[in-house]
Amino acid sequence: MSFFLPLAHALVARKDLPVPAWLFAWGASLVLIVSFFALSAGWRKPRFEDEKWRPLSERFSRALLSLPVQVLCGAAGVLLLGFSIYAGLHGTEAPDRNFALTFIFVTAWLGFPFFSVVFGDVFRPFNPWRAVGRAVGGAFALVAGQRSAHLRYPERLGRWPAAIGLLAVVWLEVVYGASGGVAVGLSPHACAVAALVYSFYTLAMMALFGVEKWCETGEIFSVYFGMFSQLGGFGVKDGRLGRRLPLAASTHWASLPGSAAVVIASIASTSFDGAQEGALKDAIVQTFEWLAETGLNLTTSLRLADTIFMAICFVGVGLVYMIGVRGMSTVRGAPPLRELRRGFAHTLIPIAFAYLVAHYFSLFVFQEQAQFGYLLSDPLGTATTDLFGTASNGIDFKLLSANAIWYVQVGALVVGHVAGLTLAHDRAITYWGDYRQAARSQYWMLAVMVAFTCFGLYLLSVANA
Amino acid sequence: MNSNTTRVVAGIVVVVVAVVLFAVLSSGGDDSSKTTQSGKNGSPITTIEIKHGKPVGGIAQLTYNEGEQVRFKVDSDVSDEVHMHGYDIMKDVKAGGSVTFDFPATLEGVFEAELEDRKEQILELTVNP
Repeated sequence: MSFFLPLAHALVARKDLPVPAWLFAWGASLVLIVSFFALSAGWRKPRFEDEKWRPLSERFSRALLSLPVQVLCGAAGVLLLGFSIYAGLHGTEAPDRNFALTFIFVTAWLGFPFFSVVFGDVFRPFNPWRAVGRAVGGAFALVAGQRSAHLRYPERLGRWPAAIGLLAVVWLEVVYGASGGVAVGLSPHACAVAALVYSFYTLAMMALFGVEKWCETGEIFSVYFGMFSQLGGFGVKDGRLGRRLPLAASTHWASLPGSAAVVIASIASTSFDGAQEGALKDAIVQTFEWLAETGLNLTTSLRLADTIFMAICFVGVGLVYMIGVRGMSTVRGAPPLRELRRGFAHTLIPIAFAYLVAHYFSLFVFQEQAQFGYLLSDPLGTATTDLFGTASNGIDFKLLSANAIWYVQVGALVVGHVAGLTLAHDRAITYWGDYRQAARSQYWMLAVMVAFTCFGLYLLSVANA
Repeated sequence: MNSNTTRVVAGIVVVVVAVVLFAVLSSGGDDSSKTTQSGKNGSPITTIEIKHGKPVGGIAQLTYNEGEQVRFKVDSDVSDEVHMHGYDIMKDVKAGGSVTFDFPATLEGVFEAELEDRKEQILELTVNP
């Protein structure tokens, strides 16, 4: 028995060509050479533990962090979220013609990581739920004359709610959305309903545990975008904006339980999205057919098969990391396993970011033309509005050549690999002190990084969803 | 480097070389199986047959190099609109009728053509640089 698989992406009219074999071989060789170099050219004192924060001009800092700007940014965030939900509920059901899907899953979901890596935590001021939470909290304090009391957040949970939430967001997009029975992708209506449900949930959690506490631990978008912002060269400290050593802030990010799970979830979900129409396609089809033959309906079977493989990706990526951590723990003078597990989680953030760039860079560039073209002028996709005169603009697919995309993809993976190795070596020096032991522990992390990078290259060379 | 280091490094080299070889071999195989049409000007035209609103034999695969002429014909037993995405060419087809597409491969990438009303993909068009 064989079935037609309703596989297709919601937004994408175009997919990247697989990276050609010769470029794959060059990329992998480059990774190997770089890693050799890293083995021999390690430094002997930690360089990234101190982020070397230097304040920016006081006037600039005060203006940018002033209350009116905070209110303005927060209001913009609330407005955009509200509008996306409205467009999702009342606009066209064609995913590529509705403002909601592109705005949420491309402009925000991909745009914030890209910008955060350069500028630091740019999502924080625009976070609509934080803005609402703070406004409500402020109003409460004004009326009651005291600050609202919160429950103690169970510290053991740490960032686990965000890690699971992150998987859920990607699941909604690539598993639930990709399998609507027909190849339409996630419907704008479903997307809007999900956004509403999430808003109620996260506002309730903010009320329970406090706005900032929830943003630090459970609010998916704050934690996820915040993670990437740790790589960035700008940050706020004691209410003042400043510059810092790029990558350095990340060394203190993984202090909460579940942080490693967040990075792993990020790498795993990107891997799954990249592999589902390439490396994993046959396995998914087989599982799907097997499930369908047991009498489940086709949509359920496909979603279930996809879910199983997404879970396998999460477990697999986690396992590779755990093997590295286990290996390091055998080196004399190693800190306890728990400490190690958390201590090296941040070294995977550059890898996670490299995966993101490699898989979604071209989608972002192409789809943003839609975002600022026809989706801005005709957000509901009714074909009757033309707010800015750009409703009939198309997407210029000639903007990026296949070659340019390939070089960006392979380049991102190699740069991410180097950044990850750098952070790992630095952390090893901190733990072991002794340079020789630190270097010995790093054979393990090096193997982990080589595995992730070559796997990333492999995914690109097979096919890219 | 001491002997321990050398051993680990050697291990990594072996793994990487194995992965590279594997990928080069497997992607080479992929390419040949996907090429169903060389796409030279004047080459025989590929026909995609639609039965009960679905492509016979699964989604058709066409591969061209940039600059070549893409040519295919859709024979359909249902009335629908054939939409070549990316290139954004739409042509109506009547039940029992057929439409021909003939356009230069100017955009690089992988694009799909579908029966627009049924949201049924019928073709995956690959244009290599």
